[in-house]
Amino acid sequence: MKLSNYEKDGVAVLEPKGKIMGGPDATVLHEKLHEYIEKGQKKVVVDMAKVEWMNSTGLGILISGLTTLRNNQGELKLANVTGKIQSLLTITKLITVFEAFDSVEEAVKSF
Amino acid sequence: MKKPTIKGNSIHIPSSQEYLSDVDSFLEGMLRGYGVMEETIADIAISVTEIVNNSIIHGNRSDLDKEVTVSIERTGPVIEIVIGDEGNGFDLTAVQNPVDEENLMREVGRGIFIVRSLMDSVKFEFLPGKGTRVTLSKKIS
Repeated sequence: MKLSNYEKDGVAVLEPKGKIMGGPDATVLHEKLHEYIEKGQKKVVVDMAKVEWMNSTGLGILISGLTTLRNNQGELKLANVTGKIQSLLTITKLITVFEAFDSVEEAVKSF
Repeated sequence: MKKPTIKGNSIHIPSSQEYLSDVDSFLEGMLRGYGVMEETIADIAISVTEIVNNSIIHGNRSDLDKEVTVSIERTGPVIEIVIGDEGNGFDLTAVQNPVDEENLMREVGRGIFIVRSLMDSVKFEFLPGKGTRVTLSKKIS
């Protein structure tokens, strides 16, 4: 997995690319997410467009980010959730937990 | 330091998540060789990496002197993958249902549930003194 990030209208956007399966690559996503939160960022969007698939490690990282943000009056939203990721979120009922949008623009505007 | 080794239809890795991508590359290469569709390859790869993570962390407790082995075989329309570790196993009945309301926000505990959802059959064998063996199978179309 590779990770890029940028800010758009005061919202941090994280863009993982590839597979999130655990190990050093997944740690990078966890650390970047929490680095933003520690800096006081309260609005985060994770763009899933380029994620091929992920396992429960990836889901755990997203839940960890969401929980920490909500504890700090913030929110983590998802964008471009499709195919395999959509199906995993449905199986695990996490689709009921995350707000998901069809594009990064829509997710950013929703804050 | 030990490195991943491939012998025929098996890969052996030291107990570190650093080598997960080696398992995935080996597995996906074998599955493509068997002519498995990409959608099914993803289901199998997700499931195998879940079990390998458990074997590394909970089974072998990240002891680099212990190995995790993944073997794959196609018999007719069925793909069977066996994942073995050298750990002491765990209590399957203690695994909580991750979709219960009280567990929904937990960061961990979804792995086996996901594997059971994606594969056709999942069998756990706890072999005293020999580790845990997990057999996954999935019919390919």
